[in-house]
Amino acid sequence: METSAKKRLLVAWVVVVAITVIYLWIDRSADDRGVLVSSVAVTVAAIGLALVKFRIILGEFMDVRHAPRALRRITDLLVVVIAMALLSAYFVGRAVA
Amino acid sequence: MTETERVPGEGDMWFFVVFESLVFTSYFCVYLYDRAQHEHAFLKAQSALNLPLGIVETILLLTSSWAIARCVQEVRAARYRSAQRFVLATVGLGVAFFGCKLAEWVRLIGDGHTFTSSEFMQHFFFLTGMHAIHLLIGFVVLGVIRYQLADPQHRSHQTIETCSTYWHTVDLFWVLIFALLYIVR
Repeated sequence: METSAKKRLLVAWVVVVAITVIYLWIDRSADDRGVLVSSVAVTVAAIGLALVKFRIILGEFMDVRHAPRALRRITDLLVVVIAMALLSAYFVGRAVA
Repeated sequence: MTETERVPGEGDMWFFVVFESLVFTSYFCVYLYDRAQHEHAFLKAQSALNLPLGIVETILLLTSSWAIARCVQEVRAARYRSAQRFVLATVGLGVAFFGCKLAEWVRLIGDGHTFTSSEFMQHFFFLTGMHAIHLLIGFVVLGVIRYQLADPQHRSHQTIETCSTYWHTVDLFWVLIFALLYIVR
């Protein structure tokens, strides 16, 4: 059981590092010969992937998956609130620009 | 609550995690709204950042988070010597992150990108500066873990878990700051 906990932690680390490296590909695919260009898809993907990492750190590294249901629900709600707030600020900003 | 369900560390620390996350989120919203208003100027200033360095910094901090989580696992198994090694690894990774951040600030300032040079840089230096303050407090927190592990009479698993939760929070904030400053277009 202890070995599986260590393995699970290692897998979580591999996943969050892999997501971080994916950013390189997203970044290069979005730019025009080294010049940064605006992209709604990249912005939404960046925020989405960051929140996936945020959730993995909470669940695996911070051990929330073994926490009482109330704390699990509060942290899930936190992720949803952050997602909605960030995307709303971005899209409202674009709409009124 | 079942037998396996337990709050990691003290409940008060979780109040801090949620509260600080919301405080940072409110600032992120200001940044994203401002960015959407002045997209061209933000993209131009953003091009001064070094993305590969940002990725290295992120991996250093994620690895430090893994190391402190392993430390907690070792503490729960009463392997305190091994736990001490993981704390030292966490400190080393945190110092490496801070060194990279300082090098990045020095390079940017040397190239004329300062707090007042553009709106993007104002957000960049404010967010990375606020994060660095949390990181420096984190070193004190890691010192508490080190002290607790070294002294059996003052050792408290709950305090060690609370301190590790703080360190993870530093990582949580960076994951969002990195995406918003380096990747968002």
